Amino acid sequence: MTKLYLLLFFILGVSLVGVALLISYLFHPKSTNPQKAEPYECGIKTHGPSWVQFNVGYYLFAILFLIFDVDTVFIFPWAVVMKDMGVAGLVEILIFFVVLGLGLLYGWKKGALKWE
Amino acid sequence: MEQFFFYFISAIILIFSILTVVGRKILRVAVYLLFALIGIAALFFLMDYYFQGAVQLMIYAGGIIVLIIFSIMLTSNIDLKFERVSRKKSMASALLCGTGALITSWAILTFDFKPSGLPPLENSMRQLGFSLLGRGAGGYVLPFEVITILLLAAMVGAIVIAKKQKNE
Repeated sequence: MTKLYLLLFFILGVSLVGVALLISYLFHPKSTNPQKAEPYECGIKTHGPSWVQFNVGYYLFAILFLIFDVDTVFIFPWAVVMKDMGVAGLVEILIFFVVLGLGLLYGWKKGALKWE
Repeated sequence: MEQFFFYFISAIILIFSILTVVGRKILRVAVYLLFALIGIAALFFLMDYYFQGAVQLMIYAGGIIVLIIFSIMLTSNIDLKFERVSRKKSMASALLCGTGALITSWAILTFDFKPSGLPPLENSMRQLGFSLLGRGAGGYVLPFEVITILLLAAMVGAIVIAKKQKNE
């Protein structure tokens, strides 16, 4: 039954956006001129491609984010049974956090968290 | 209803996977891959594997894709288009992939799957939490703690490699 609701929800969502786009397509005034295609109404046109090489620093942050992302996966099941596990669960997760904290501390010490 | 969703999601995954392989603009290909991974998460949700679906969304769609997009943006030639593959090459690879898919589906279809007769495992976050943190029989607390060492090694390794590249 819930799957039926999901299907209805999906159809309704798609058709809402589709109908809105269709109505605006039917009613909007059609006019084209070169000024319309410009990126800004005023100011200077951009020179060269807008793709630039990004700072390598982003990559380090992305990797650190990914590793902590994996950590959260392991913390979720603990959070659900936290009350039932009691002190034993708390100790287990504390060990988990301490070891990971060491990693963060290492990164901090090495200046990986500093923006250059 | 369930079947309809299964085929619908599978079709989305297939389309975006093929687009990922044949696409020629690298950043668009990354986004196609994102959609394919989200489709796999949807399949997990369809099978009531909520935790696995959430993990798929978080790690693959949220983490790996960010990493891939960052690595694309760090390379200098982002708007570089891949060369058009010659007809001969694409035919050969299509043939190879098709044969692989055929063999795999043949193996699956002809294999005699027998129900094990064991009671089905309760698939819930609570069950998972008890198993992961349990110290008795069927508990996985030692692997749980060893994983942290693995993650620590990954973190230290990533920092060392990235810092080395930065200094050069």
